[in-house]
Parts: sequence; C-alpha cells; structure tokens
Amino acid sequence: MDWLSFILAGLFTYLAVSVFLLGTIYRLCKWWKVSPARMELGYFPKPKKGLSRFWQVLRDSFLYPQAREVAPGIWSFAIIFHFALFAIFIGHLRLLAEFTPLMKILGEEGMHRFSFLSGGTAGIILLVCLVYFLVRRFKLPYKEISVPEDYLLLLLLLLITIMGLHLRFIADIPVENYRAYLHSLFRFKPEFTPTLAVFKRSFVLHKFFVNLLLIYFPFSKLFHFVGTFFLNKVRNE
Amino acid sequence: MQETNTEKNLVDLLGKKINRQLLYYLDTCARCSICKDACHQYVVTGDIKYIPAYRAELLRRIYKRYFTPAGKTIPFLYEAKEIDEKLLDELSRVTYACTGCRRCMVYCPFAIDTTWILSTAKALLNSAGKTPQILVELTNAAIEKGKSIDLFKEIILDTLKEMEKELKEKVNDANATIPVDKKEVEILYVALAGKHTILPAGIIFHQAKANWTLSLFEASNYAYFLGDPQRAKIIADRIIEEAKRLRVKEIVVSECGHAYRVFKHFYQLWSGEKLPFWVRSIVEVIYEYLKEGRIKISKEQINEPITYHDPCQLGRNGGIFEEPRYILRSLSSDFREINPNRERNWCCGGGGGLVANPDFEELRIKTGEIKAKQITESGAKTVVSACENCRLQISSLNEKYNLGIKVTSVSELVAENLS
Repeated sequence: MDWLSFILAGLFTYLAVSVFLLGTIYRLCKWWKVSPARMELGYFPKPKKGLSRFWQVLRDSFLYPQAREVAPGIWSFAIIFHFALFAIFIGHLRLLAEFTPLMKILGEEGMHRFSFLSGGTAGIILLVCLVYFLVRRFKLPYKEISVPEDYLLLLLLLLITIMGLHLRFIADIPVENYRAYLHSLFRFKPEFTPTLAVFKRSFVLHKFFVNLLLIYFPFSKLFHFVGTFFLNKVRNE
Repeated sequence: MQETNTEKNLVDLLGKKINRQLLYYLDTCARCSICKDACHQYVVTGDIKYIPAYRAELLRRIYKRYFTPAGKTIPFLYEAKEIDEKLLDELSRVTYACTGCRRCMVYCPFAIDTTWILSTAKALLNSAGKTPQILVELTNAAIEKGKSIDLFKEIILDTLKEMEKELKEKVNDANATIPVDKKEVEILYVALAGKHTILPAGIIFHQAKANWTLSLFEASNYAYFLGDPQRAKIIADRIIEEAKRLRVKEIVVSECGHAYRVFKHFYQLWSGEKLPFWVRSIVEVIYEYLKEGRIKISKEQINEPITYHDPCQLGRNGGIFEEPRYILRSLSSDFREINPNRERNWCCGGGGGLVANPDFEELRIKTGEIKAKQITESGAKTVVSACENCRLQISSLNEKYNLGIKVTSVSELVAENLS
C-alpha cells in the first residue's frame, strides 16, 4: 500500500469510525440530557398502548404512509432509495464474511452473478434517486428551503455511489480481495491485495468519501436515521 | 441587533425553552418539504415562507448557530444565523400567520410538530416585543378583568338575568336558572362572550337536570395565541381558581377549540399541577346525555344536508371525532362528510388567533378557499363546527365565497331540536 492509500483508506478509516461512534453517542446524550416536555405531542387518533403502538411506530418509521397521500412522487423515490440503501448495506456485509448458506445454494459462479446483478441494480437505483433528489433541490420551492448541507450530503452520496458502481461494473474484483483488505483493517495493518491495488484509485476514493460521510453523519440531518424512531414514537403517544 | 444584550437574552431564553421533543424536531428535519402540500396557507398562496419546514427553518438557523458545535464552526453549511432584527421580523410574520392546526405533522415522515417549534419562536418574539399588538391588547384586557372581577360582576349578572328570562320562556319553566357561583355542583360551564354559547347550553342542562354553574369568565385565552405561557396561565387561573373554590367535579368547556386544549392539556404543562377535576368539551357532555337518554331530540328534524367541520384543536389535537358525528346523525338523515375529514381535515384558515387579527384578514379569507371548496363539494346546507374560531371563519367564507350555507354549533342545533 502506497502512503496516500495508507492515509486515506487506512488511517482515515480509523478516524472516521471513531468520530462516527463518538459523534453518535454525543448526539444521543445531547437528546437524553434534556428532559422531555410534560405533554404528549402526538395527534389523534392514537393507537392503544403496547403492541399495536409498537407496530404503528415501526410502520410509520419505515413506510411513513401518510406522506404518500400528499406527495406520492417524492415518497416513491424516498422509499425506493432507502430500500436500495438497505439492500446495499446488506450486500456489503459479504465483504466481512461470506454468506455461506446462500453460497451453498447458488454455487460460486451463481453467487457472483447474483451479487453482480443485485448490487448493480441497487447501485443504479441509488444513482437515479440521488440525481432526482439533487435536481429537485435546484427547483423552486425546494431551492429556497435547501441549505448547503443538503447539497453537500447529496454530492457525497453521489460520489460514493459512482465510485461504488465503478468498482462493481468495471473493476469487478473478486470479493476475497475486499475481505482481505477489511480484515487487514481489523488487524490494524491496512494493506491491499495485488488485484485491489490495480483499482486502488476508485477504491480509495470510494473509501475516502465513505469516511467523510461517516465523520459528518452524526452532525448532519442524516441523523434522521436514528431520530425517526423516537419521533414516530412521539407521533403515536 | 444593536444591543448585544438583547441578543444574549434571547439566546439564553431559547436555551431555557429547549426540551427533548424540540431537539428531535430541530435536529431531524431533512427539508424534504413534503409538509408543503399539507399546509393550506402554502397550497393556496404558493408563498415559500408559509411552507412549514421553512417556518421551522428560521428558528433552526438560530438554534444551529448558538447551540450546535457544527453550526458554530461552519454556520455557512446550515445557513445558521445570528439573531437580528430582520430575522426576528420574518420569524414573527410566519409564526403568527400559522394557525397551529398541526396538519403538517400528520404528513411529515418524522411527524415534526411545526406548531411546537413555533411556540418556542413565540417565546423569543414575546421577549423581543415582536408580537401582534391586537393579541397583546386582548391578553391585557382578560388579565384586567380577572383582577377586578368585582367591578364587572354586576354587569355580567345583569346580562345573565336577561338571558335567564329568555331561558324560562324557551323551556317553559319559571324555575329555570342560569346559576352563577354555585358551590359543589357537578359542572362549571365555561362559555364564551356571547349568548349563543350560554343559552343553548342552559337549555340542554335544564332538560338533562344537570347540576351546573356558569363561570364568570370566558373560555378564550389570547395569551395562548400570543405564545406567552405565563400570562396564558394567569388567564386560565381565573377559571381554575373558580373551579377549585366552587369544588366542582368537572370543567365543561363550550365549543371553543383552543380553550378546550388549554384546560385539557396545556394548563398542566404550564403549571406542572394535576387538576383535581375533569375537563370535557360540551360536545362530549351532550353526547353522554343523548346516550343516557337524559335529553331527547326530535329525530331527523333537519332534512337538508348537514356536515361537520372537525376543528383542528378538538379533532386532530383533542381526539374528539365521533361524539359530534353521533349527535348530528341523530339530528339529520342526510349527514355528509367533507373530504378529507377527521385528523386529515383541512384547517378552516381562522385558527391560531387569526380571526381576531385584522392584519391577517386577507390571508385568512384567501386561504379559506380550500375549506369553501370542500363545503361546496359536500353539498351541505348546514355546516356545524364545535369551535368559535372555525364558525367565525366559515361564516366569513360563507359571505365572501357565496356558499349559501347556515353555520352553527352543535349545542345550538341540539337546543333548537330538543323534544
């Protein structure tokens, strides 16, 4: 690993993960340090306490069906985007450890084809949604509501996605190479396999933007990822 | 801001006003603007400043600038702003224009309560003196009345004597009364300024043989609209003290949206005290009387189509949906829903004290367009609403949009049709 890769995809990763974890704890502590108002802020009708409220909170957090009624366009893009994001997150877990049961069913060749297709599709969906979100922000009235943070986050996500797609479609490196890199990170001795080193430019960039996003995450509106559960609980009580 | 002292005071005040829900709201908004289509003011005017997220964003900018490390370090990223005259003026305009209907909250993926955010903005605006003059005057008048009730009592009692005569005629009973200051009764009924909220209730209470007394104070609370909890509490205290002194079992609030919520929810928030009596709306009481057979209405007296407009404060924000519908269905064979209804109902446009504020008259008539259209589409000839603000607004709409409808309240309609 050359020194630039070592800094951006090595050292910087440790920094990013630390900031992400500490920032998240800071953000949660900031919320929980302040006492809640002595009033239930949910609107009526409210679900009964217990299991039915729990389901309602989950439903509202994951599907927010009310939004669909007034804004079906952005709702559809948002839902598809978030599900694609989730799929990609799951897919990336394969870089940590092989999905052995699935591998047994599909075989080595089949598994590669499956991840190529599913990962590629999810990545393209992400790209389309991000472009839509970005274009939407440049239109009135959304332009007036938007602040630089909104564009910055979309830009970061776009760069990550583009680099990811490049790795998926052009580089198409066998998964073992990523796994070796990740495991080397855990051993605190970051290194690239020779195959990965060939495509290090797109990989280091992909990794670098992810690190930037991780660092910014706890201080950005992306924290709605956590906030939505608390807020939808408030909605239903 | 010329005096940095004022800025510091406002920042300190905001710091004191921060609670957990507010932090959730301020930290989570993704500025997706889905809320824009939920707000009648934005939908009708297309004016960006009325988008709920934009209104909240004005306070968020201040919050980011003074209360978040990221906003302090890179204010540019969040458009975080220092408090200045211009920002406060804009905040005042969009905050006091909001009717507090909380419809945006229903459609927001995170259920962000813009009204809750703006109630914090109102605290700052009160401190900075950026409040609508008329609301300040009405608040002062109510507090004055509370201080010198003995001066007013004579006049009130005279008016009530006149009303009592009318009651006796209407119910054909020489012993019918409108009791005041009666101790240990079941109900302290809190009406509004105006016979139309007292006489119909008197007629209904008479037939139900209810053990009640009338409050000397009107239910409305302009300090609530002003967003000044201290003074709102002083105004509500007049009635809370009266209820305690008379040792009543419950406060029954006349058909007034914000007053119901003041007694039902906000008073406990302001005082931290659990009230020793129940709080109900007169609509709930009428429903109970009907169910128990304590009052009888002539079935299906009204043949023309009739509809119910859910007041935001009573429906979405108060949970009273079915009681008025049950009552109206008993009265009419042609009860119709306006669409959407219940928690999705559009605000009439007159909430949040807008009806009392001439500065917002143009906006409120214009943005009532949606309500006027809903009513026309329903084909209803009588529109009932259990809130004075809604009724005043819908009456204005009736005139301006030539709706040709009758606007009335649940208790008036019931009192007219008792058998």
